[in-house]
Amino acid sequence: MNWSEFLDKYQDQLVEATSTTLKLAAVSFAIALVVGVIVVSFRVSPIPPLVKLATWFVAFFRNTPLLVIFFLALFGLGDLGLVYDFFPTAAVALGCYTGAYMAEVLRSGINAVPQGQAEAGRSIGLGFIQLMRLVVIPQAVRTVIGPIGNLFVANFKNTAVASTISVVEATALSKRMFNDAAVGVWRVLFVITVIYLLFLIPAGFVFRWLESRYAIKR
Amino acid sequence: MTANVLIEELGPRGKRRVRIGSGIASVLIALVVFWMYRRLDQNGQLEAGKWTDLFASTTIDFLWQGLRATIQAAVVAGVFATILGFALALMRLSSNRISSTVAVAWVELFRALPLLLMILGVFFIDTSIARGRGGDAILGTFWSVVVALVLYNSAVLSEIFRAGVLSLDSGQSEAAKAIGMSYWQVMFLVVLPQAVRRMVPAIVAQMATLTKDVSLGFVVSYAEFVRRGQGTADFPDSRVGNLQAYVMVGVVYFMLIWAMARFASYLETRQRIAPKTAGPGPGAGDDIEVGVGTTLGPGPA
Repeated sequence: MNWSEFLDKYQDQLVEATSTTLKLAAVSFAIALVVGVIVVSFRVSPIPPLVKLATWFVAFFRNTPLLVIFFLALFGLGDLGLVYDFFPTAAVALGCYTGAYMAEVLRSGINAVPQGQAEAGRSIGLGFIQLMRLVVIPQAVRTVIGPIGNLFVANFKNTAVASTISVVEATALSKRMFNDAAVGVWRVLFVITVIYLLFLIPAGFVFRWLESRYAIKR
Repeated sequence: MTANVLIEELGPRGKRRVRIGSGIASVLIALVVFWMYRRLDQNGQLEAGKWTDLFASTTIDFLWQGLRATIQAAVVAGVFATILGFALALMRLSSNRISSTVAVAWVELFRALPLLLMILGVFFIDTSIARGRGGDAILGTFWSVVVALVLYNSAVLSEIFRAGVLSLDSGQSEAAKAIGMSYWQVMFLVVLPQAVRRMVPAIVAQMATLTKDVSLGFVVSYAEFVRRGQGTADFPDSRVGNLQAYVMVGVVYFMLIWAMARFASYLETRQRIAPKTAGPGPGAGDDIEVGVGTTLGPGPA
């Protein structure tokens, strides 16, 4: 099989699978940002049950393999009577997984804000919410741009695991093509590698640029 | 640490609010747990037999073999990845243009690809070569998983080693050069003993990640723990369903990784506080300030 025969046969599937990968990466990362902010706000709140909840949430998602989380989401949600399609299940499971890491990153950012900043905010009479919104969070986010970039890349790569629960993204397509002996394994590897690098290399540049532009060096 | 500054000492009104908030939160959490319990019960997932069958001796034995296979792959891959990562770091740090370019290309390529894709890639390259020769696969599933894990983790570990070497005060290697040591003497007698010590927590944390990633061997039917978990759900004479099997796998896997991660953070804290509490003791002179640590570790306080 030469390249033009290969493209004739797989062009549409490649486009479809690539767009699924992109969609999953975008949706799950958006979920991760929301989950991360909620979890970290529970984590630093003064309310003990919420602190416990956030701690356990992070511990669970960080110390359990993503594959197991996918299966638990698939079967667990089903047994709870919440049946969703594969894509939303994958997006939520992956979003919560990355969200737990996001919460840790944000927390390290909050811890990195010098105590004097919070004390100064306190002394001019800001309440907890105001203090967080106006003083702590803006500085915290700027210190963790680099780590958030790493999480974006990790999350993008982890979309591959969704292939195990029947989401046809780039890696699932690679498996299909690997099984087509006419294509040849090296060609498949080359094509799928190019697809991932096509998005991950620019993403790396963007985050490095953002970091050099906005990050606070500590 | 920061939490007490953000929140400060609460007054009577604040304390009351926290009590009310705690009450509401507890009630909500309890309601969600109760709802989940009800739904699972209605769907028949909480029948005692479904769970007790997990502990039937055949099931436990079957799962235990899977756990052993997971640990085996993790140990073998961990050892090779450490050695190779070490070599890559030395190559990248060397002044030889060719070897450092090779190391950079290796690290950047293998860090950028999904591990799952690499496992599939190694496995299918292996089978296609075998098909071409008309013989058996050379690597098989175990070594396919191990090779892919080594490719990926050697890249990650080499960056950890490199960061460790670079974090060392340059006065150390300058002093060593000044007393006439060669490049390799500087590296092996002065720089690496200090850098490696500093890197141990990050290496242990990476080993925890590696052990987690062995689960991806699932896709090439390597009989590791998760694959075995899936198998138990299909046992003919057992009532164990998918949920029960994966809860079991999840709980055991969680405890294993959690213990490894705790050990890593214990090592990191010990390193960080050592100079302060011990003063110039056995560890004096190797200026341990900050564990270069993962970005995900606790931030600098």
